[in-house]
Amino acid sequence: MSDTKAVIIKTVKKINFQTIFPFLGLIIIVALFTILTKGKLFSNNSLRVVMNDGIYILLGTIGFTFLFAMGMMDFSIGYNMGVSCAVACIVANSSAGIYAAIPAAILTGTIIGVVNGVIVTKTKIMSMIATMGMMFILQGGVLVILNGSVLQAPLALMDLYTNSLKIGFILLFVIGGYILFELTIFGRVAKAIGASPEAVRQTGINADKYKIIAYTLMGAIAGILGFVSLARTGSATNTTGSTLMFNVMNAALLGGVPMTGGPTTKFRGAVLGTLTVSFMVTGMTLLRISAQNQQLIKGIIFLTAIGICFDRKNMKVIK
Amino acid sequence: MSQGDSLLIIEHMYKSFGITKALQDVSLELRRGQILGLIGENGSGKSTISSIAAALQLADSGEMYLEGQPYHPKSSVEALARGVCMILQEKGTFDLLTVAKNIFVGKEELFVKHGFLNNKAMIQEARRALDAIHATHIQANLPLSSLNFEDRKLVEVARAMYSNPKILVVDETTTALSRGGRDILYKIMQDMKAEGKSVIFISHDLAEIMEVCDTVTILRDGIYIDTIEKEHFHAPTLRRMMVGREVAENYYRTDMESCKKSEVVLKMEQICCRDVKDVSFELHKGEILGFGGLGDCGMHILGNVAFGLTGPDLGTVKAGDGTLIKNPNMAMKKKIAYISKNRDQETLMVSCSIKDNVCLASYNKISKGPFIFKKDEQKFIQEHAKDLDIKMQNIDQYVMELSGGNKQKVALAKWLGFGADIFIMDCPTRGIDIGVKSNIYQLMTELRDQGKSIIMISEELSEIIGMSDRIIILKEGQISGEFKREEKMTEHLLIDYMV
Repeated sequence: MSDTKAVIIKTVKKINFQTIFPFLGLIIIVALFTILTKGKLFSNNSLRVVMNDGIYILLGTIGFTFLFAMGMMDFSIGYNMGVSCAVACIVANSSAGIYAAIPAAILTGTIIGVVNGVIVTKTKIMSMIATMGMMFILQGGVLVILNGSVLQAPLALMDLYTNSLKIGFILLFVIGGYILFELTIFGRVAKAIGASPEAVRQTGINADKYKIIAYTLMGAIAGILGFVSLARTGSATNTTGSTLMFNVMNAALLGGVPMTGGPTTKFRGAVLGTLTVSFMVTGMTLLRISAQNQQLIKGIIFLTAIGICFDRKNMKVIK
Repeated sequence: MSQGDSLLIIEHMYKSFGITKALQDVSLELRRGQILGLIGENGSGKSTISSIAAALQLADSGEMYLEGQPYHPKSSVEALARGVCMILQEKGTFDLLTVAKNIFVGKEELFVKHGFLNNKAMIQEARRALDAIHATHIQANLPLSSLNFEDRKLVEVARAMYSNPKILVVDETTTALSRGGRDILYKIMQDMKAEGKSVIFISHDLAEIMEVCDTVTILRDGIYIDTIEKEHFHAPTLRRMMVGREVAENYYRTDMESCKKSEVVLKMEQICCRDVKDVSFELHKGEILGFGGLGDCGMHILGNVAFGLTGPDLGTVKAGDGTLIKNPNMAMKKKIAYISKNRDQETLMVSCSIKDNVCLASYNKISKGPFIFKKDEQKFIQEHAKDLDIKMQNIDQYVMELSGGNKQKVALAKWLGFGADIFIMDCPTRGIDIGVKSNIYQLMTELRDQGKSIIMISEELSEIIGMSDRIIILKEGQISGEFKREEKMTEHLLIDYMV
């Protein structure tokens, strides 16, 4: 008798709100916009838009999940993407040819990621502050590189933006990210760092190394997105990547990826959150909601999501 | 029960955490001028019931009466206003503020004039508060971080006493205090008793309880067992009531031989670091080396240095083969393990599962290439955790749900699984109940017999004497005495070298 009761309580405990929340959010958003757009959300065209926008959010959120798991943050990803895009554009226009743009973008992003990681680990500045500083630098950097204007890429570059490229990246990152996060030492240690950095240190694990790897990965992803953006739009502008950070934060939160890190971080959260935000953005566009109003709505949802899913039990004082 | 001399009555108290029943129908009565001891193993509910009285937690159901009036405080502020105050087991002070500001935290308005804080008046008042608890040696204007652990605890006591409570709850506070600090606390308790106020005193140290308390209430697994008056105190009986079965009087090592092996496995040479001044010693294979001293004698930092967590200012740490140890990673390569005194913050990830904690040190062993599979982790735990008999629902249970003793077992399982040869244990039985304590002593003896070496740093002299092959006593950062294991060793002898 008491055994069955214990089992029931255990099951209820397992299916707690934090677990349901991301699924619930996705269902609500999809249902809401399906009704509001009278089913247009699932037309071929809309789904293509979902994928086009979703690829940025997905890759970004996957990189973010590793950082979040460690209890860290990267504010600079959007402008990292912008700088990588600008550098790739210049390289594509140079004699090196359009294919050189790919390594150029990835390399730029990676270097910025490494610098972020080194700053955060060696100077011990809070990751939020350090990467915010980097964000300001890169914001200025884009303007300098582009000389304040828009740079056009060779048209041939746009031929690279194919469905197979997009699907390839999506599959690579979803499968690779899942394995890395849930089935490797790196993933385990990432969560351990989020749970207790001191315990990790006292277990002889070089946490700095893992943190730098996570920032490097994040930077490389921003670089890839810089190239994807260049191939998609054929140009590099000073606003390239400026919405990335916000969408990614939203996706991570709506996916239930805890900002405080630790063992409750789940990789599926990145995927679920991405779907939710991508459908939301596409749905709002279909409803002809202006960019400014979209920003406003996303902001409200952002705060609501934090308010609902933030794990207050494990956080006594918020800095 | 006459209402007249009852100060606090607790009736039919229930409290659960998830499926754990912390309290089941517990009733207590606290008389005026009484020092009531609460004893019981970890998880028996003694901290829970007293924190409910101080409103740090809320009960599921049950009634409380303070001075005959219904008493249902919603917050610790309200409890304090009614005169119930608790000194916590863990530290509850602010390192960066001064002693005075710590004492008056939340009461700053007492010293505000025209919107400005009168620091001088506050420091003067703090002085009076410290003198009132006989802690004359603490200066009120210093930042708290400049004080040692014990004095910080006393600042907390001063803060509690300043509110002039009718009921003071002392929860395991004395484990952090040396003899001097303990005497201060006992004096306060006696003063309160003389004034007709009451104390609820929680401690693991049965001898201390029997010395200090007028009455003892025993709890076990959240159930009220019995209340015994001073004239009927009898240690074996109390111990049996706590554990629920017969406990051997002596749970330390029984042999009296000291380590005979001469092979050196760890060598510290002329270490200077913070409080530590020029300390050198060698640890031998198959030896339990006990370190004793007052809380601030430098022995805890020495454990840190030996594991490479803190680099010494001067001197070297070497493994048996002469390799220098500069960081935890190098220490682990030489199969050294370290369990911190602050187990919950520094050794364990309490928000993680038992599995994650035990595996953390051994991912290289468990993994296949870069990959880790659940079944390998499970196998690893099966191999290393089952000997320790950790009381758990399953290996995915969160460590924070375990009792102190079981947490310590998880910490030990982590290092046993790693395959350590040298264990540095800082206060290995701090805040752990008798039952698990004897498990840990037994395990230490087994490790020793297997030829592993242990450095045991402890503030409990009885366990150092009971377990060590060799004892080193530190005083003000220097070695003041070294002793071989022998029958006639007494605590008094060691204390003479400590102070």
